[in-house]
Amino acid sequence: MLRMEIALFLVLAFIAYIYFSAGKKHTLLHRTFSALLIVVLIHLALDGVTVYTVHHLEAVPRFLNDAVHRLFLGSMVLVIYLFYQYIAILVEEETGRQRRLDWNARIFLAVAELGNFLLPISYTVTPEGNYSSGPYMLVPYGAVAFYLLLCAGLLTVNWRQIDQKKKLAIGAALLIEVTVCAMQWLNHTWLISGMGITLMTMSFYLTLENPDILRAELTEQKMSMLYLKSQVNPHFLYNTLDTIRIQAQLNGDKKVADLLMRLVDFFRLSVKVDRQMVALDDEMELLEAYMELMCYRYPELTCEYDIDPELGGVQVPNFILQPIVENSLLHGLKNKGYRGEVRISARRAAEDRMEILVRDTGSGFAEGKKAEIDRMLQNYAKQAARLEGSSIGILNVQKRIKLLCGREYGLSYTENPTGGVTARLLLPLREEEMA
Amino acid sequence: MKKLRVLLVDDEIMIREGFKRLFDWEAHDCQVVGEAADGMEALAQIDTLRPDIVIMDINIPIMNGLKVIQLSRMKHPDTAFVIVSGYDDFSYCREALRLQITDYILKPVNYEEFGTCIDNLKISLFEQRVSSAAEPEEQERTITGITRYLQAHLAEEVSLSVLAEEFHLNPQYISQLFKNEIGVGFLAYLTNIRMEKAKKLLLSTSLSIAEVAEQAGYGDYRVFTKVFKKAEGVTPSQYRRDFLEGSADV
Repeated sequence: MLRMEIALFLVLAFIAYIYFSAGKKHTLLHRTFSALLIVVLIHLALDGVTVYTVHHLEAVPRFLNDAVHRLFLGSMVLVIYLFYQYIAILVEEETGRQRRLDWNARIFLAVAELGNFLLPISYTVTPEGNYSSGPYMLVPYGAVAFYLLLCAGLLTVNWRQIDQKKKLAIGAALLIEVTVCAMQWLNHTWLISGMGITLMTMSFYLTLENPDILRAELTEQKMSMLYLKSQVNPHFLYNTLDTIRIQAQLNGDKKVADLLMRLVDFFRLSVKVDRQMVALDDEMELLEAYMELMCYRYPELTCEYDIDPELGGVQVPNFILQPIVENSLLHGLKNKGYRGEVRISARRAAEDRMEILVRDTGSGFAEGKKAEIDRMLQNYAKQAARLEGSSIGILNVQKRIKLLCGREYGLSYTENPTGGVTARLLLPLREEEMA
Repeated sequence: MKKLRVLLVDDEIMIREGFKRLFDWEAHDCQVVGEAADGMEALAQIDTLRPDIVIMDINIPIMNGLKVIQLSRMKHPDTAFVIVSGYDDFSYCREALRLQITDYILKPVNYEEFGTCIDNLKISLFEQRVSSAAEPEEQERTITGITRYLQAHLAEEVSLSVLAEEFHLNPQYISQLFKNEIGVGFLAYLTNIRMEKAKKLLLSTSLSIAEVAEQAGYGDYRVFTKVFKKAEGVTPSQYRRDFLEGSADV
C-alpha cells in the first residue's frame, strides 16, 4: 500500500513546484491554495508514515503510533477546512457577497482538532490489513461531513451566479471526496483518504490554478493597468495645461506661457496615435513642438529645417521622426553637452520616393557601435520586440516603415565626414487617395 | 469707426480672463461688453447686449455652442461668431462652416495671432458694407477704389508708395484711410486678401504650392507657407488636404 502514498506525494510535490514557480497575482484565493498545497503535502507524508506504523504495531512504540495518527488526521481536518475556505473565497469572488460562515468553520475546526488530540484511539488488526479506530475516528468523518455540507450549501445557494467552469471544479472535487470517504467508511482497510484529498486538490489545480490560467490573469491585470494609464483623458491634460498657461501669461510670464503652449501642442499631436499614417506636415508639427522645448532646455542646441513644401501631404508612418531626432540628441549631442545642431531635410529622391535626412553634429558612433546598429537595422525582423533599451526607438521606426511602406524602404545611418551622424529615411511618395 | 462689442462665452473663467486681459481689445477697436458661462446665459446675453462679435466655446454646459449659434442666428443675423474649441475635429469645423460662423480657432489660443482673426472679421464686415451699398455712388469712394486696385494687382509688388503714386495721394493718408474705413492696417489688409486668394486657388485649382504662392504675391514659397500657417493654423498643403478629405465623405 505504501507505494500509492509515495506516488501521490511525488505527484503533489511536482504540482506544488510548478505552482510556486509560476508568476501569479497576489490574491487571497491563490494564497489559500498555496497554504492548501503545503498542508496537503504534510498530510500525504504523514499518510505514508501511518500506513507503515499501523502495520508494524509491535515494532513501533504505542505513543509514537498514536502521535503520528493524531497528527495525520489533524492535518486532514485542516486540509478539509482549507478546502472549504478556498471554495468560500471562490464563491465570494464570483458573487461579490461577503462570506458569513468563516467563524462557524473556525470554531468547528478548533473543536475537531481538540477532539482529534483527546479522544481515545485504538487499532484494529485484520488479515487484510490494520487500521486505526476508536472514538477519535469521529473527527475526520465529522469534519468531512460538516465542511462538505457547507460547500454543497454554498454551491447550491449561489448556483446561478457561479461561472460554469468553477461550478464544475467545485462539484467534481466534492463528488470525489464524498465517494472516497464513503468507500473508506465501508472498507476500513483500504486507507484511501490520501487519494481523495489528492484528487480534490488536482481538480482545482487543473481547472482554476494551473500556470496558464495564472499567467493569463497576471497579463490581464498588467494590461488593465496599462489601459488605465493610457486612459488619462487627453482633453483633461491639455485643457489643464492651457489653463496654467493662461495664468502664467496673466502673471506676466510670457516665456513660461510660450513653453506651455508648445507642450500643449506636443500632447495634442501625440495623442493622435490611433492613425497609422499621417501627413508629413503633421509629423513635422509634432517634431517642431518637441524640438522647440528641447532647444529651450538646452540653449546651445539649434535646429534647422529644410522641407520641400510639395512633400507636406505625403503620407508617412505616424511618429517616425521624433524617435530619430531624440536618438540624435541622446546618443550624439548629449555627449557634447547639447552643443550643436540638428538639421532635418526632406526632398524627393526619385520619381516615387523621398528621403528625409536627420543630420546631427554630435559625437558620432562609438567604436563598433555603427556596425551593431547596422546589423540591428538589417536584421530588424529577427529582433525580439523589446520594451526598453536605447535602440528600441529606432528599431520600432524601422519595423513600422518596413511593415507599412514595404521592404525597399527604411532607415539607415551614415557617419558625417565632419563628425556626427546622419539618419536617412527612405519613404514612398504616396499621397492619400482623395476620392 | 465705432467700437465693436464683444461677448465672451466659455465655461472656464480662466479662459475668459485670458481673452479679456491678454488680448489688446483697445488696439483692435473692440470692447468686451459681457461674459457667459453656459448656453442659456449666452442666449440671454446675446439678446440683451446685442454684441457684434461672440467668442464662443463649443463644449459648454446646458446647451452647446453650436446650438446657441443656430438659435441666435435667426434673431440676430448680423452677429459674427468666432468658435474657439479644443476639439480639433473636422466634423465640428464642418458643422460650424454650415452655420456660417466667421471664424474657427483652436485652443490653445495664441493671443497675438487672435488679432489676425479680429482683423479678418473687420475686413469681411467692410466687404459686406461695400457689396450691400444700395447703388454705386456717383463719385466712387477712395477706399473702395484702392481695395479694388489691390484685388486686381495682388500678384505684383504693392506697397503704400505704389498706391500713393497710382492714386496721387500721400502714403500716410492712405494708411490712415485703411485704419478709419476698415479698422485694420494696410499690411494686415493686404495679407488678408492674399490669403483669401491663396485659399481660393488651393481649393479650386490643382496649382502647386509654389504657383499658388506666386499668384498670391509671394515670390518665395517658404515665406508664403510660413505666413499661411500663421494665419490659418495649417500649412497650405494641409489646408487643401483637409478640405478635400472633408468634402469626400460629406
